[in-house]
Amino acid sequence: MNDADTIAAVATPPGRGGVGIVRISGPKAVEAARRIVGVVPPARTAIYRRFHDRAGHEIDDGIALYFPSPNSFTGEDVLELQGHGGPVVLDMLMAALGEIGIRPARPGEFSERAFLNDKLDLAQAEAVADLIDSASEAAARAALNSLHGEFSHRVTAMVDALIELRMYVEAAIDFPEEEVDFLADSGIATRLHDIEQKLQQTLASARQGTLLRDGMNLVIAGRPNAGKSSLLNALAGTDAAIVTDVPGTTRDVLRERIEIDGLPIHVIDTAGIRDSDDVVEQEGIRRTWREVERADRLLLVMDAREPMHVEDQQLLARIPPRLPVTLLHNKIDLLERDIPDDVDAERAELWISARTGARLDRLREHLKNAVGYQPTGQGTFSARRRHLDALFRAERHLLDARERLEKSRAGELVAEELRLAQNALAEITGAFSSDDLLGRIFSSFCIGK
Amino acid sequence: MSNEQYDVIVIGGGHAGTEAALAAARMGVSTLLLTQNVETLGQMSCNPAIGGIGKGHLVKEIDAMGGLMAHAADLAGIHFRILNSRKGPAVRATRAQADRQLYKRAVRAAIENQPNLRVFQQAADDLIVEQGQVVGVVTQMGLAFRARAVVLTVGTFLGGRIHIGLNNYQGGRAGDPPSNALAARLRELALKVDRLKTGTPPRIDKRSVDFSRMQEQPGDEPVPVFSFMGDAAEHPPQTLCHITRTNERTHDHIRAGMDRSPMYTGVIEGVGPRYCPSIEDKIVRFADKDSHQIFVEPEGLDSNELYPNGISTSLPYDVQVNVVRSIEGFENAHITRPGYAIEYDFFDPRDLKPSLESQHLPGLFFAGQINGTTGYEEAAAQGMLAGINAARRAGDQESWSPGRELAYLGVLVDDLRTQGTNEPYRMFTSRAEHRLLLREDNADLRLTPIARELGLIDDLRWARFERKREAIEREKQRLSDHWLRPGDLSEARQTQLFGGPLIREQRLAELLRRPEVDYASLTGLPGCGPGVEDAQVAQQVEIDAKYAGYIDRQRDEIDRHRRQQEASIPDDFDYATVRGLSTEVREKLQRTRPATVGQASRVPGVTPAAVSLLLVHLKRQGAGAGSLRHQA
Repeated sequence: MNDADTIAAVATPPGRGGVGIVRISGPKAVEAARRIVGVVPPARTAIYRRFHDRAGHEIDDGIALYFPSPNSFTGEDVLELQGHGGPVVLDMLMAALGEIGIRPARPGEFSERAFLNDKLDLAQAEAVADLIDSASEAAARAALNSLHGEFSHRVTAMVDALIELRMYVEAAIDFPEEEVDFLADSGIATRLHDIEQKLQQTLASARQGTLLRDGMNLVIAGRPNAGKSSLLNALAGTDAAIVTDVPGTTRDVLRERIEIDGLPIHVIDTAGIRDSDDVVEQEGIRRTWREVERADRLLLVMDAREPMHVEDQQLLARIPPRLPVTLLHNKIDLLERDIPDDVDAERAELWISARTGARLDRLREHLKNAVGYQPTGQGTFSARRRHLDALFRAERHLLDARERLEKSRAGELVAEELRLAQNALAEITGAFSSDDLLGRIFSSFCIGK
Repeated sequence: MSNEQYDVIVIGGGHAGTEAALAAARMGVSTLLLTQNVETLGQMSCNPAIGGIGKGHLVKEIDAMGGLMAHAADLAGIHFRILNSRKGPAVRATRAQADRQLYKRAVRAAIENQPNLRVFQQAADDLIVEQGQVVGVVTQMGLAFRARAVVLTVGTFLGGRIHIGLNNYQGGRAGDPPSNALAARLRELALKVDRLKTGTPPRIDKRSVDFSRMQEQPGDEPVPVFSFMGDAAEHPPQTLCHITRTNERTHDHIRAGMDRSPMYTGVIEGVGPRYCPSIEDKIVRFADKDSHQIFVEPEGLDSNELYPNGISTSLPYDVQVNVVRSIEGFENAHITRPGYAIEYDFFDPRDLKPSLESQHLPGLFFAGQINGTTGYEEAAAQGMLAGINAARRAGDQESWSPGRELAYLGVLVDDLRTQGTNEPYRMFTSRAEHRLLLREDNADLRLTPIARELGLIDDLRWARFERKREAIEREKQRLSDHWLRPGDLSEARQTQLFGGPLIREQRLAELLRRPEVDYASLTGLPGCGPGVEDAQVAQQVEIDAKYAGYIDRQRDEIDRHRRQQEASIPDDFDYATVRGLSTEVREKLQRTRPATVGQASRVPGVTPAAVSLLLVHLKRQGAGAGSLRHQA
């Protein structure tokens, strides 16, 4: 049974930095302190001690902190050991903990316990998970904002404003014999407008957060000699090696990840996008198209010296109409005429040289602008897709409410839209949470049967 | 000592008691109605009106299940209106001014003519409790009646104390004795008792009033009808209501009398309703408002008394006289009965099961004002439910209770059980999250089939209902089978009807969904008719079309929530085994004993995280989803 379980995990990223932290949560935290530190530290006070294994051998020395239940991050007894890091030392600490029946935590299990013990609301619990696997520094900052509940606060404030608005609308329905018809009152429209604006601001911040966490999906296409790989290398910079997320077999979609000023970009290579008779390649083509469906933008790389090739024209004709396209004229260093102006329209056109790096900064700006990314990190939230989805739904209900108010003056339908908007917002902070929603959340926290 | 045996005994002959007794008897079990006074069966002790927003919905539900209230209102109604008629059908509600005497007569006639039901005039002083179960009643003169189930509906009589100014005395409804022996006995039985307050305005002699100085308020034409079986021809002659207002002088008199107000001097401890404040409350809380409306309602066709709705007060009598006479039209008014406030006991409804049976005293059911509600309609609806379940208990059948998505009655019971109340609980449409589904107009479609299965619906009503239901289905089918082609109408006509030419052929059902199209004009088009004659059928078809998108969405919502809502919590569930529940939440849940996770989530103070814990725990136990409780 889980009640007796004590869990431990290395809380610092592997292989980095001078400090390695092991965190222990559960009833055996006290025993772990006695065994390894030799003493249970006073509550919430750092003590400096040597760490020993079961046989009494010294493993490391460092700081030990003890947070008794319920005043800890998880709500359980928590022991934190801050040592010198390094994989070997940390492994030995974990092994020593294993000897007294403390098992390694599953991913997100600390957050899960914190959530179950009422220490975090859903948005906060998810922010912790984001913090754990945040890929970039800006994302970590955004995750921290959410953890501090800024996102929850904003949503809560909107819910409060909505409740107040609903109060008026409901009063008009339930008290028709009172002398003020709130529905006829312009105050309702004004309040509705205020909430819409707040929602849009939050949405903008949240969208940033989603970008930071999930990044942008970019499809790069172009004929073999157009210079795709040199472009990728140029964009990624010399230091940061290109990470290949999925080691490629011919059947897998090749995906690579680069980062521009903190914006993660998942690059989908379209080597396999052209027609083929090969069965294996056909499967690859099918998968590539599926990726294209989900992409945020297509970058079509062409040789600046040549007109658009018929193959590229065919490709453009096949992509989903909603997918924005940037035509990238590469190799301008070889161009024997004046460089044309960039086109900043629905179909953007840029002129660059991947080899010399000329005008690459424009491409970077273009990509950031294209997804509305502002790399400040301030005031942005780590929003998951679920949050965005809820905010969008709330927005739609508010718009419908406005329409009902202005056109049909149907009070009960205005009320219904507002109720639905509130429910949508409440999904974010966990209130009114449905079983479905919990199912999704707990599946990412690995809750057992 | 008598030892008569009944299946069900109902104590109290008010709106809850009479519906309880009628429902039980209709289901074929032998029923005894014990009342202090046969003359006051069906008495309207507060304002002489039935229905209104939320309340009218309850009346239609009672009617749809074979209950009496709507029929009695049709026989006694002297002024009918549909409120919110300019808003959508979901929030429209019927309201009737009733002639008190006619109403009482209708109720008494129904009681006296109901097979399986006997009436006995005698106060109940004690309950017979054997092995922890209630098995009977002992009356004032020591008679014992035994029963399989007892329904308690003693309303304002319970531990009542009436206040007029700083004077107060024990009493039930003005003029009647309180049921103190029973109140004392119930307190002994360790049921949790609390106190509430309500009030009434002074009554006024019609002959001393100048109506020419007031605004007339006629009833609706054509005159609405309450019961699905009813007919406007049943109504007595219709009359007028009037509206007048308080003024600055009225408010001065009230402020001057405040030092002798039992509410503002701390004599009254009970909490009054926020939505039905006394006039002194209104003056204090809305000090910037220089005038308040008063609806002047007739008490009956043959009565000279008026009920000035809006000036409920417990100020001293001399202040009441000054207040009344400062009001336009009331300059020479004679007060026939002073207004008063009454404090009374109620039992914490969180101690009830969804069937309205006590969790602590099996065999004892509670309905009406003793559960903390106010209003005839709320009382009657509970009475009917308690009567049904008392009869089912007598027949060893499982209890029945509607869910929140099925009826306002379900919302009412669920709210009371999970949230309790600290003011007299009154129904509003905003309490119902599925408001668009729970309409007055479809109460029969929602509830009559269930009531038929419960044995509450006679063959006559059932046949009429089935005809209506089939006609609705037939007409819906016809509208979705028939198409209107752009060529069927001139373009000018199309633009006139649809705001523009039709682009393609469309089903009539689709066209009816448009806000600008109504049923009558659609079925009047060439090739689109004829429509149905029955107005109720036409109305259902039209409303279903207009609300279609919303109704689908609410149904989806209900389905989505159903699993969580209905995940049942075993009766003997030990909340101490749920890891991480705070002591406060644990105690609340132990006390409330919600039957489902849905109910648990509505208990005040139970956080979403606590609900998640509960769900996770139930899942781990393998309970919950596997053992769904059937809620209607």
